Amino acid sequence: MNACVASFAVSCESKDRTGVRTLQREQELNRFLAEVEKRALRIAEISVRDRDEALDLVQDAMIKLARKYADRSSDEWTPLFYRILQNGVRDWHRRQVVRNRVMVWFGRSGNEDNDYDAVAAAPDPKGRTPDEQLQSQEAMQSLEIAVGDLPGRQKEAFMLRTFEGLDVAGTAAAMGCSEGSVKTHYSRAVHSLRETLGEHWQ
Amino acid sequence: MKERKDMAGDSAFAEKAKQLFDESVEGLDGETRSRLNKGRQAALEELKTGKPVWVQWAPAAGVAAAAVVAVVLWTGNPPTDVVTLEASASDFEILLTEDSLEMLEDLEFYSWIELAEDADETQETEDIVG
Repeated sequence: MNACVASFAVSCESKDRTGVRTLQREQELNRFLAEVEKRALRIAEISVRDRDEALDLVQDAMIKLARKYADRSSDEWTPLFYRILQNGVRDWHRRQVVRNRVMVWFGRSGNEDNDYDAVAAAPDPKGRTPDEQLQSQEAMQSLEIAVGDLPGRQKEAFMLRTFEGLDVAGTAAAMGCSEGSVKTHYSRAVHSLRETLGEHWQ
Repeated sequence: MKERKDMAGDSAFAEKAKQLFDESVEGLDGETRSRLNKGRQAALEELKTGKPVWVQWAPAAGVAAAAVVAVVLWTGNPPTDVVTLEASASDFEILLTEDSLEMLEDLEFYSWIELAEDADETQETEDIVG
């Protein structure tokens, strides 16, 4: 009888510990996602040039991370999250290609509803004069367009390294390629952007 | 010398790009932030419920297994033939379905149907004999 009671107590204690661990994990994941979600949204938005689509992609990435990789070490979450997001963006572009082909087949341009306005979509920075605000918006608009026009891998390398601040190893893990490839893609991206945007932008 | 200047230029360029990007992130509107928050909550909900299916059903399966053992021990007469086993399985299936509660609520009605059917059968037998 005493053995039963003791075993029940141990079982309850173990359940409590598991519950506490799950709660801690949930809080940790919540903090991580809250920290990364806004930058991830802007990165996805620059890639797909549509905020609603970008929101969907970020939400999908968050759900997949929680479902599949919540048990992994939190150090691994950033590259894993961006890998999921980049895969989502690539799939989105593939679907767009198919969609555009179908639209062409039916005699319509697939880009008819692609009326993305980076200036209108750009948020208002705080604490700046209207002139400074306008300058920043224009500079960001030019940058977004230039980054959006980069080849896919260069775009990924540039945004992950510059905007998200991942190191070479983290970017390689997120992109699923070697560190050497990351360096090459990043270097080409920066040179191409500097050339496109010109001296006056800097 | 030129290479060093280029590297410094690349670095300054990246710094400015990062600064502009951060400003655009900070200036995200309330509606977008709210939608991100909802997406995050949905992902965290997944963490709570995203266990494999067998883990979710484990407690129910445990209770069902315990019920089977209890019934077998209670009757003291373990089923030996296939028909009884099949019947027990189908009984449990019925009990585990969502409709079983509704059936229990209408038990009186089902009893009446059974009595009516028995009465019909008796009447038919009497007709044949008669």
